[in-house]
Amino acid sequence: MQGKRLISRILLLADGSEGCISAAKYGIALAKITGAALKAIYVINVDLLEQLERARVFVKVEKLDYERDLEEDGRDYLWEISELAASKGLQIETELLKGTVYKIVTQKAEEWGADLLIVGEHEPGASKQDVLYNEISLICRKARCTVLIAKNPEQIDSIFDTIT
Amino acid sequence: MKLSSLLRREAIIVPIKNYDKRLLIEELLDAAGATGEILDRTKALQALLDREALGSTGLENGLAIPHARTNAVNGIVMALGVAPQGIDFQSADGRPCNLFFLLLASEDYTTTYVQVLAQIVRLNQLTEFRSSALKASSAEEVLSALRKAEE
Repeated sequence: MQGKRLISRILLLADGSEGCISAAKYGIALAKITGAALKAIYVINVDLLEQLERARVFVKVEKLDYERDLEEDGRDYLWEISELAASKGLQIETELLKGTVYKIVTQKAEEWGADLLIVGEHEPGASKQDVLYNEISLICRKARCTVLIAKNPEQIDSIFDTIT
Repeated sequence: MKLSSLLRREAIIVPIKNYDKRLLIEELLDAAGATGEILDRTKALQALLDREALGSTGLENGLAIPHARTNAVNGIVMALGVAPQGIDFQSADGRPCNLFFLLLASEDYTTTYVQVLAQIVRLNQLTEFRSSALKASSAEEVLSALRKAEE
């Protein structure tokens, strides 16, 4: 009797951190083994840009500039992840989103039916004021699916390189 | 990411010597030069002054963050100046500023740059950090207050 597969849909979060590309490689390697479908998302943190505008760190024109540049960053990250998947003969769906990061990520994981969400590791002992670290903590607490934090980037890189 | 790992002791000024806005920015920029990551000082200064012309980077609660993105620097460059007595910086709340974080980032560092700006704003909300930084008599004491706030 064939039961439901443990991992059939893997969602990857590209968040602009150093660890997110390693996380993507981990997810691609896992998809190669399990045959799971892959999707990568990047969320432009417009909430943060609005907070900075309210705090008057940014003037309006500056905020719009940064939003446009973050969109470009997001597209670059998603393109890089697509290329990594393609290099291993896998297809990956990508989506660029905007909003409050943890809310959008957990919502998208549910909508898409992800059974595994993979995020990158952040600097160990990151500051309490660290924006990405706080978003990842919230994602781990709020997500309904399993969340995996990909660690040991060097090890992931070397395993990824051996996959054909 | 920790601000205490981005900020070098040599880039902390206690206390700030200049009261004139432009000279103060230049003082911070020269301290930031200790990082060795400023490729073109003239261009970096112009980027900071151009941003300042859009609206003062003097915020609320004694904080000012002169900042700009420019390829006149490599990566993220930071300096911090402390002025316990307060300096007029045309701040949003009309009060003098006493913590001046200078932040420069190359144009390919937008994500990190935005996050660092947010971290500085959050850090300034910590009364204990502000109080320790303003009482500090050396760069090492400021750095130690920053490390403690980030624990």
